[in-house]
Amino acid sequence: MLAIILLAGLGWLALGRAGTTPPQEQPLVLSQHFVQTQKPQVCVHTLLENEVETAKILRSLEMTRQLGAASIVQFFPWAYVESQEGKYDWAQSDHIVRLARLQGLRIIARLGLAPDWARPVGTPLTRLPDAAFKEFAEYAAAFAARYAADIQHIIIWNEPNLSVEWGFQPADPTRYADLLTETYSRVKQAHPAVVVLAGALAPTLENSRSGVGLNELDFLTALYRLGAQAHFDALAVHTYGFRDAPDAPPHPGRLNFRRVELLRQIMIDQGDSDKPIYITESGWNDHARWLHAVRPSQRAAYTIRAYQYAEEHWDWLEALCIWALRYPADLRGYPDGYTLINPEFLPKPVFFELQTYARGWAAKESLWLPPPGDI
Amino acid sequence: MAATAGGHLMQRRAFSLLVITALAVALFLATVLHSIRPDRKRAFPTGAIRIGVDASYPPFALDDGGSLRGLDIDMAAAIAREIGLPAQYRNIGFYSLYDALISGEVDALVSSLPIDAARTDDVRYSSAYFNNGLVLVSAADSSPLAIENLIGKRIAIEYASSADSILHGWSADGVAVQRLPYELSEYALDALRLGHADAALIDNLTYRLYQRGHSQWSSASQFITYDLYAIAVRRDNHDAWQLIEAALEQLRNEGELARLIAQWV
Repeated sequence: MLAIILLAGLGWLALGRAGTTPPQEQPLVLSQHFVQTQKPQVCVHTLLENEVETAKILRSLEMTRQLGAASIVQFFPWAYVESQEGKYDWAQSDHIVRLARLQGLRIIARLGLAPDWARPVGTPLTRLPDAAFKEFAEYAAAFAARYAADIQHIIIWNEPNLSVEWGFQPADPTRYADLLTETYSRVKQAHPAVVVLAGALAPTLENSRSGVGLNELDFLTALYRLGAQAHFDALAVHTYGFRDAPDAPPHPGRLNFRRVELLRQIMIDQGDSDKPIYITESGWNDHARWLHAVRPSQRAAYTIRAYQYAEEHWDWLEALCIWALRYPADLRGYPDGYTLINPEFLPKPVFFELQTYARGWAAKESLWLPPPGDI
Repeated sequence: MAATAGGHLMQRRAFSLLVITALAVALFLATVLHSIRPDRKRAFPTGAIRIGVDASYPPFALDDGGSLRGLDIDMAAAIAREIGLPAQYRNIGFYSLYDALISGEVDALVSSLPIDAARTDDVRYSSAYFNNGLVLVSAADSSPLAIENLIGKRIAIEYASSADSILHGWSADGVAVQRLPYELSEYALDALRLGHADAALIDNLTYRLYQRGHSQWSSASQFITYDLYAIAVRRDNHDAWQLIEAALEQLRNEGELARLIAQWV
């Protein structure tokens, strides 16, 4: 009887523990893959930081490899990793980096978002006070050191020429130059070979009196004037086509794909032409209810022509990354018109066209048939 | 002990009776409240129906030099007439429409809004007044095209559109059709009309507008998907929903809604 009671007690204890301890996910046993591509500049921006299920992270990365994209831009928020000051939790980052490595993908890491303890109470995650620059630099250095074997490219913050990315504080080139200065030396100490990217600069026409931001041309010029040149190895840029064709000429007063050439010219003028540019967000939108969108047929055709244009004309370009591979859920608005696959992992036609281009498969002469009246 | 047990039993019965009575009263009140005629003043406290519309989506709504025109505009005016209040329009960008409704800037959205189940915590939709889903169009003299009979048929579509995605899906399901991609939906319909295709898969709006421009051409169609447009009001404005739904039903019964749709689309 005593034995029965003891066994029952042990069973109860075991059940109790099973009920309170979440089941541990077993590490996946996966084989090493390699990207097969003819166009290594093809790249996509992934959004894996908010995914919970490993299966979805893995499927996203598999589809990126199958697309023929050699690189991904992936966000690693400081706020997620160091939610408690001085305590790093690398679990999710380790997971993403490992799975990307096993698919043979290069990661361009974007760092940003300040944890609660590093910013005033009630401010948004994008608020980064001057006093927190040093702590952010420490995080960036720790990140660079931890992933030195896997990650060779790090972007410092995001769209620093927009007020929203500074927690609705002015988009001040001086502050960003200071952030670069603080971060660059720490990251280089931790991982001397890493490529530190400044930016990524957002496409905007805002002038210095705007509360929204500052156009990226003036912002970059100011960075050079402030001596930031020594504190970045490459420039990250966002350039979108909106309704213009990919070969539409650039102009300071217009937002289109080739606007990046104006930034390139500033780098040349500043004697900084040896530095490459990485386009870390780009693309066209085909949402039916957005004024800046194009038709689905135009989107697919423009995307391929953009890559062809870049290949033919931009020898200073290292990567052209499409925003975005997939959102974890539909946003129920025009941003859904930017993705290559939907939340259920169904590829959109533009995915197949980009895959044909990247993999070097025999492409059709034209994506569509001539108008029937012309036959 | 027995007396105490009996007392507990009585208490439980009394409690049960109380709960049942309360539920019955609540049900009765809910029924009565529901049947009360909707109040115009409660529904539209400004004395006008303030309508949010994105006037950048012809032929549903267009800002024509400061004057708003289109199916949504005329339909909203007809609904306002039925209710007996003036309509006041606010031209609002598509992605700010729901904010304007929820914050109380407008009373209703009449803006060819696709019914979005994810928003029904905040808004309530009327019955649908237009379906802009995909239609499978064939020549009027051909036999009806069931999906299983499409194998090997030439289907014209707009390249990279949602219709194109559907064909990819059919192909994956073993319905292998001959895909004829065109740059524009109108070209896909041209292909059908000129005999280069057996069918076209196209959105209903494009199909209807194409028919207007080719009145001599007769065709048959069937819906393959649904993209329903409806009017939205705040979920807590039950009076507004009842009044608008009743007016819409009236327009439907009188044939006025069909007339307006035929006029614009």
